This record gives sequence, structure tokens and C-alpha cells, in this order.
Amino acid sequence: MKRLYGVIAVLLVAALLMPACAPKAPDCTKADVFCVGMVTDVGKIDDKSFNQSTWEGVKLAEKELGAIVQYLETTDSKDYAKNISTFADAGYDVIVTVGFALGEATAAAAVQYPNIKFIGVDQFQAWPYDEDKTNDIANLAGLNFPEDQAGFLVGALAAQMTKSGKIGGVFGTDVVPPVWRFGEGYRAGAQYITPAIELFIVYHNDVGFDKTFTDPEWGATTANSMIDKGADVIFGGGGKTGNGAVIAAAQRSVYAIGVDTDQYYTLPEAQKMLLSSAMKLLTPGTLELIKLAKEGKFPSGNYLGKGGYAPYHDLDSQVPAEVKTKMEAINAGLLDGSLLTNVPPVKP
Amino acid sequence: MDWRRFGFIAFIITILFSVVVLIGKAEISPVVIVTSMLATTIAVATPLTLGALCGVYCERAGVVNIGIEGMMLAAAFFGWLTAIYMNTVFGLAPMPSLLGGVAAAILTGGLLGLFHAVLSVTFKVDQIIGGTVINILAVGITGFLNRQLFFEKGSIFGGNVPHAPGVLPRIQIPLLADIPVVGRIFDQQPITFAAILLVIITHFVLFYTRWGLRTRSVGEHPRAADTVGIDVYFMRYANVIIGGMLAGLGGAYFTLESVPSFEPLMTNGRGFIALAAMIFGNWTPFGAWAAALVFGAAQALQINLQFFRESIPPQWAFLQISYVVGLAPYLLTMIILTGIIGKNIPPAADGQPYEK
Repeated sequence: MKRLYGVIAVLLVAALLMPACAPKAPDCTKADVFCVGMVTDVGKIDDKSFNQSTWEGVKLAEKELGAIVQYLETTDSKDYAKNISTFADAGYDVIVTVGFALGEATAAAAVQYPNIKFIGVDQFQAWPYDEDKTNDIANLAGLNFPEDQAGFLVGALAAQMTKSGKIGGVFGTDVVPPVWRFGEGYRAGAQYITPAIELFIVYHNDVGFDKTFTDPEWGATTANSMIDKGADVIFGGGGKTGNGAVIAAAQRSVYAIGVDTDQYYTLPEAQKMLLSSAMKLLTPGTLELIKLAKEGKFPSGNYLGKGGYAPYHDLDSQVPAEVKTKMEAINAGLLDGSLLTNVPPVKP
Repeated sequence: MDWRRFGFIAFIITILFSVVVLIGKAEISPVVIVTSMLATTIAVATPLTLGALCGVYCERAGVVNIGIEGMMLAAAFFGWLTAIYMNTVFGLAPMPSLLGGVAAAILTGGLLGLFHAVLSVTFKVDQIIGGTVINILAVGITGFLNRQLFFEKGSIFGGNVPHAPGVLPRIQIPLLADIPVVGRIFDQQPITFAAILLVIITHFVLFYTRWGLRTRSVGEHPRAADTVGIDVYFMRYANVIIGGMLAGLGGAYFTLESVPSFEPLMTNGRGFIALAAMIFGNWTPFGAWAAALVFGAAQALQINLQFFRESIPPQWAFLQISYVVGLAPYLLTMIILTGIIGKNIPPAADGQPYEK
């Protein structure tokens, strides 16, 4: 027995010494080491959606700019500030925070650490934002996207592809403006094609804020309920909740539309019925801002990325040529400003 | 379970459905609305029903089980994990993998049931604490393994969370499912059907078999049962394990029937709602099922009201706030527990360890 204790003691000491043997991390406090840290929203780095696409942009910065990159997954919304300051205290040069919910924590950190550049993905900078930028926090840029345009595009597509004249959309909470803009853009796009179209639009307004994006079961149940009522195109928008809706739609063989990224690659189980995805071009947007930060041309305030719609992939042959032409015309119209979605930036 | 209580439950469900029909009838025919709400209600009630049946078996035998939530969560995770391993690592076809996953979920539930029985029957640990241990253990172990196996660098799936090989296919009951519109109710997934069958089986077992009589006797008066030669410990062990297996099947609903993915804390308190449903149903299988349907109907209401948000009349504007509607089942539970609809009578020896 005594010997056993001895063995355990040795193992314990060895375990304590382990971290000391780990390879030494590059020192981000040095001026010539360019470090980019990313803090995820509650959710995983590989959420097949938001965190993942942003991280891909950060990884491009690793490849193209030689940056040292690292991420921290947030498991609880209480940890936002703590995770941000973990990077800030380690001397990172750029900190990317993903998601609307981190907005306050990011702005607070930007004031506290004026020498670090902060990129707030999906964080609309709501304070008075004037031409001379005197009211902006100089080291904070909110990377935003015209979600209403991306939603408008897939709404128009859904309205053209439906046979029953009924389409559905399952979203995370409408308290988050980007989610709301997707939903209302979808509505506007569908009504642009067919003004009298029957629309089922449901936001997940559960009491728990975190829960509204990580509830695939609710998303699937809601999508099924819409399909029962005759909807034959389902747009799922809002993290894993939306993914649940997209998968449920594909399982019941109705058209599904993904969100944020081209979900053809991220939701293989929905591929055969995935019509398109309403895309925020997160990866190029993130890379662009990191580049600007490195070159010392960091913009403050709101930085607008681009929206779009994903290719039809497997369903390419089912989409009529005139629909494709119409979609290109709508996309061009939205980009040059001749076509407006008329969706306000936040829920009135 | 008395008829008054069933009447009350039917009344509540009718009200919940009528609200949506009244608001939505201008846009969609009432038959379609009611059918779709019934289909949603039955599917959503599945884990609650199975969880409540778990509670019925355990408590009828005299063991309080508040660990249903943890049993379901652990079963959801290990069932999902097994299905993924069988499909991606061992290369089995999706269908056997899913069935293997269901079997693993039931086994997980059964093992946790055994654990609860060891704590509460053999070691006579306070049963509330035993159940709490299971809940905490399940949250910790699923969260930890989920992270270690799928998210850490160099883990087996290289940081990409795989989805389970699809979900259990829908089963159409011949003839009934072919009826236009209404047929949708008879087009459900296997665990949903199994839950309903198990309600009937549990009712039969508890009230019409020797096993059931013995189970109830050790829950009502273990000393008397012991004197006539019934092995109290064995009966309690067996019923808690059976209950655990049912909760395990309920867990499989989340990751193998509803969606092919796992989320930490996915069961989201449904194990506790199941416990409320069991009390609401006065420790009877049919009562518990009916109560589970009320909770299902409340969720169907919450989803459906949003479809017709524009049609909600202004004086009912509070219905637009969906969590106001979501509160309905909890308020109902509180009303029921106050004893307005008849008294709830638990088994007499419920929660009391038996000393030989």
C-alpha cells in the first residue's frame, strides 16, 4: 500500500510538471509578433455557422499575414469579458469577438485597452455615428452585414420555387437585430415576388437568451409544424436552432434554405434538399478588417461587409433558368442600390 | 386517475387548440390547424411521457427519482455517440447504427437506474440527494466527453462534430395514415409510437399482473410485503432499473429521433416536467400521459401562435409575447398541485428506505 502511495505521489508531481514541458507560446507582447485572438459566442468554434466562418477568416490571416492566431470558446455568457481580457492581457494585437451578444463586453474592453484593435462581428455600433467619427471608439470596428439583403434574396427565391404558395422561416430570437433583419428581409423578398404569399415566420423567443440559438429540437418541431400546414420551402436562420429546421425540412423532402454560410458544406444531411443559403460573407469581411488593422488603416464605427446567396448545388437542375436570371437581377439591384429591402436596421 | 381529472385535461387542451383555431382560421382551415397541432403535441410529449413512466415505475416501488433529467441527458448523449461510432468508425449502415444507438441509450438509462437503486436501496442514501447526484453527474460527464471527443484538437473527428446517421424514419400506420389531412397524426417516428404503447403496457403491468401488485405493495407498505415473502430490495432494484431504461428511451428521442445532433443540456428541464406530469397524473400511466400531452399542447400553442401573429386581435396582444404563453403549463402545474382538481396521493412508502 505504501508503495502505491509513492507511485501516486510521483504521478501527481509529474502531472504538475507537465505544463512546463509544453512548447513555448510565441510572445504576443513583442511588437514584431502579430497576434489575432478570437472569442466565440456561446457555442462552439465549429458550430457550422457563425463562429466557424469567422474563424476561417482569422485562419486566412494566419496564412496570408503570418499572424499568430488563437481562439477561446465561450461556454457561458458571463465569461465574455473574462475571455476577451485573457487575450488582451497576453498582449494580442487584434481581438475578434463573434456575435451581437458580445457587443457590450467588446466596447468596454476597447475602452480599457486602447492599444488593441477590436473587431466586433455582427455588433452594430449604435451610438451616434457621425461623419467625422468623433463619437466612435477609435480601436473598435463592428463588422456588419446587410442581412436584410441576404434574406431578401432567399425570400425571393423561396417565393419563386414554392408550389403550394406557402413558405416558412424558423429563426433565433428577434431581439438580436441581425436575426430579425434576416427574417424581415425574407418576408420582404417573398412579398416582392408574390405580394399575397402565405408566410410562416417564427422567432424562438424563449426566456433563456443562449437557448434560442442552441435548440435544434425546437427548430425541427417548428419546421415540421409549418410543413404540416403546407409550407414547401423552409428557411432556417439562427445557429443550431435554424440547423434543426433545415435538417427537418430536408428529411420531409421540402426545399430548405440555410443561413450565414453556404450550409451545403456544413450540413451534409440536408444537401439533397438544400436550395441555397442566405450568406453573410463573414470570412472575407473578417480577413479584410484584420488586414486593415495590420496596415494601420483600421476603420472605426460600422464596417459593412457583403451579403449574398449560395449556389444551388444538387438542385441546380430543378431551378428554372428564368428564376436564375431573376435572382441575378435582384442581387445586382440590391448591390447597386436600385432595389431596396425597406427593412429598418433594428426592430421598431 | 379519476375521470374528473381527465375531463379537466381535455378541457385545457381544447382551450389551447381553440385559441389558435380562432386566430388562424381566416388563413388556414381549422382541420389542418388541429391536425398539425395534435401531431406536434404527440411528438413533443414523447420524452415527457417516457420520463413520467420512469417516475411511475420508480415511485410505485417506493423510490423517489428526481434524476430522470440526468438519465435522459446521459442516454441522449451515449445513444448519439454509439450511433456515430457504429456509423463512422465501424462503417455500419445508418439504420443498424440508429438502432444500436437506441439500445445504448436504453442501456445507459438502465445503468443509471441501477446506480440510483444501489444508492437508495442498498446504501439508503437520501433519495433526493441520489437523484441530484445523477443530474449533476450527467451534465458533467456529457459536457466533458462532448468536448473531449469532438472539440479538442487532435480528437477522433478532428474538431468536426459529426451528426448522427440521420434520424429514425417515420412510420405510417396503414390505412389511418392514408386519410387526407388527419392522417398526419398517424405518421410519426418510432419512439413516439413506442411511448404510447408503453403507456398501455405499463398500465396493464401495474394493475393487472402479479409483478404490478408486488411493485405497488413494496411502494405502499414494504414491511407487509416482506412478511408475505416478497423480496422488497429485488422489486425496488428491478423497477428502478426498468424506469431508468424508459428514461433512456426518452433520451434517445432527443438525439436519434428529433434531430441528429447533441447539445449540452439538451433535455432542458424536460425530466423535471416529466416528474410534474407524473404527479399531475396521480402516479398512473394514463394520467401521466395525459398530463404530458398538456405540456406538449402548450408548446404547440407557442409555436403556432407565432404563425398567425398578424391576425392576433389587439385585445389579445399579450399572446404575441411567446413566453407568456410558454408559462401556461407551469402555471397549470401549480394549480394542479394545489389540489383543486382532487388530491394527489403518492404511494405511502414513497421515498422511504426499507430497513429489514
